[in-house]
Amino acid sequence: MTSKAPAALAVALALAVGGVMPATAQGPIRIGASLSLTGTYAKLGKNQHEGYQLCEKDLNAKGGLLGRRVQFVVYDDQSMPATAVRLYEKLITEDKVDAIMGPYSSPVTEAAVNVTEKYKKVMVAPLAATTSIFKKGRKYIFMVISPAEAYLEGLVDMAAKRGLKTVAVVNEDTLFSKAAAAGAVEIVKKKGLQVVFAEAYPKGNTDFSALLTKVKAANPDVLAAATYFDDAVALTRQMKELNVNPKMFGVTVGGDLPEFYDTLKQNAEYIYGATQWEHTLPYPGNPEYFEAYKKDFGHEPSYHSTAGYAGCLIYAEAVKRANSLDADKVREQLLKLEMRTPFGDYKVEADGFQVAHKMVTFQWQKEKKVTVWPDELAQGKPLFPTPPWTSR
Amino acid sequence: MLAQVIVSGILSGGLYALVALGLGLIFGVMRVINIAHGPLLMLGAYTTYFLTTRLNMNPFLTVPVAMAALFVVGVLLQRGLVYRVVDAPELSSLLLTFGISIALVNLAQLAFTSDLRAVEYITGAWVLGGLAFSKPRVIAFLFAGGVTALSFLLLKFTRLGKAIRATSQSREVAMVCGVDVGRIHMLTFGLGAALAAAGGALLAVIVAIQPEMGGVWTFKSFLVIVLGGAGNYPGALVGGLLLGLVEQLASLFLTTQLSEVVAYVLLVLVLLVRPSGLLGGRQT
Repeated sequence: MTSKAPAALAVALALAVGGVMPATAQGPIRIGASLSLTGTYAKLGKNQHEGYQLCEKDLNAKGGLLGRRVQFVVYDDQSMPATAVRLYEKLITEDKVDAIMGPYSSPVTEAAVNVTEKYKKVMVAPLAATTSIFKKGRKYIFMVISPAEAYLEGLVDMAAKRGLKTVAVVNEDTLFSKAAAAGAVEIVKKKGLQVVFAEAYPKGNTDFSALLTKVKAANPDVLAAATYFDDAVALTRQMKELNVNPKMFGVTVGGDLPEFYDTLKQNAEYIYGATQWEHTLPYPGNPEYFEAYKKDFGHEPSYHSTAGYAGCLIYAEAVKRANSLDADKVREQLLKLEMRTPFGDYKVEADGFQVAHKMVTFQWQKEKKVTVWPDELAQGKPLFPTPPWTSR
Repeated sequence: MLAQVIVSGILSGGLYALVALGLGLIFGVMRVINIAHGPLLMLGAYTTYFLTTRLNMNPFLTVPVAMAALFVVGVLLQRGLVYRVVDAPELSSLLLTFGISIALVNLAQLAFTSDLRAVEYITGAWVLGGLAFSKPRVIAFLFAGGVTALSFLLLKFTRLGKAIRATSQSREVAMVCGVDVGRIHMLTFGLGAALAAAGGALLAVIVAIQPEMGGVWTFKSFLVIVLGGAGNYPGALVGGLLLGLVEQLASLFLTTQLSEVVAYVLLVLVLLVRPSGLLGGRQT
């Protein structure tokens, strides 16, 4: 043996060991998120969580992300913005997660984004619909759904086309609902109708009798309500009690849930709702996603589930294209990306504001949600006008 | 419009009175500030929900069942935990019942999940003289009135009721008179819980049921007690009706958003001008 052999052997060994090392992966990519699993937004936050879970499952089935498994780390912010701030701080500084996904609802997102901007972490925020969140000069936040201002657009547009003249707007006094109401008022004015009554009510309000008494006195053709779930139910019940009969009554969040009909039964008929997504829309992968979700979670997905699912896919696509988890590289990709998921189209402006996704308006007809607006996506005609309570 | 709103105010006031009476009893007799009152109401609502959906019971018939169930819960809570702080400074009872309330809410979240439940039983309104009387709220009001009336009869005419009032006035003298104060405390807490449960059971057909629904009711019960006078049982009735009316009238003349604020402003005013409450302090 020459004196070079041991050295050569050592080098070969080092190379062999060195070559083996990277293959034993750095562990999973941990994606942190705080979600409203309890509290007022619990139902919707849970759906979003299931969307994240299904995305995690689908990504891992296809080999993961950047060759690593994907693993969500989720905490419960109890539908409270202040709690979410704490939790995102924890996820970033203590748990040191590799990536961040957004929480449920605009108020919680608005609070949380201050944390993610501080630490320069990219956050795809799939369930924040309030425009102002994206117009404060932030760099690392990305919108997936259509803005709050668009929710009641279908209702007002249909009203205008049928020659209706007066609109009453009520809303919960929180970030999203205020934006939806403001958007509705703007559309009403643009289409030449008149706002005859507009008022907000506090979050958690259960008795709308005085409010509805005032609405009834104003006698609007259309009642546009920017609501969540329990206020939408309470409003409907008290409208029946007080015999408030607009020709069209539309709600926002919560009106699209099957529970809305289960709770109100036939009192939900004729009510219009807005939704960011329906499983019947002709987007790629929509039917397969719908079936897989039903199988895994035992109930149909709502648009909140699908937005979560799509948001996660969009983030993963950007990471893939950047070939890195580095925030600035992923951000660059998210700004350029145009993608169509089972949820619909994604494309953002330079501030992360969503411009490609389309909302639809539906009406509850004979226990089913029928998409009635826009015309290109409509499955049926609206039942108009809504008959008064006494003749149903 | 005004008449309609007054009707709504009185109907909601009746429920406030019922729930607040339970809180008032507990405070009057034991000087315990029961923060867990709202969660007890919530448990009453869930009792109704499950009895209605699983056993197909008429929701209004579940009221006595919910009351009985939560009476037992109340007695157990008192026997196990609350009795330890009856003689302690009031902050101790606050902390203890606060802890109990957190435990109850979280147990409910674990057991029932935060999914919103609702009992669909009766909707619509009876129309009398152009005014709409919400059916579920009228029935709730009548039940609340009945239960409150029974409570007052109990307090006024039965031996137990007299013992409760005696203990409420002066524990030492009651003991000297032969009243088993420990037993009275137990029964009073149970009774307070039962009244909260009745409120919850009646609410089950009106609002969405979820584990955190009770919180606002604890607050409003305190408001009512302060308005009517702490320890003054008929005061709870007056305070409840007043709160209901003030809320609805504020909603009509100002905005619904401000109606909440007005209630608290009223609280501050009463505390400043007549701190013993509108009907004065502890009476029987």
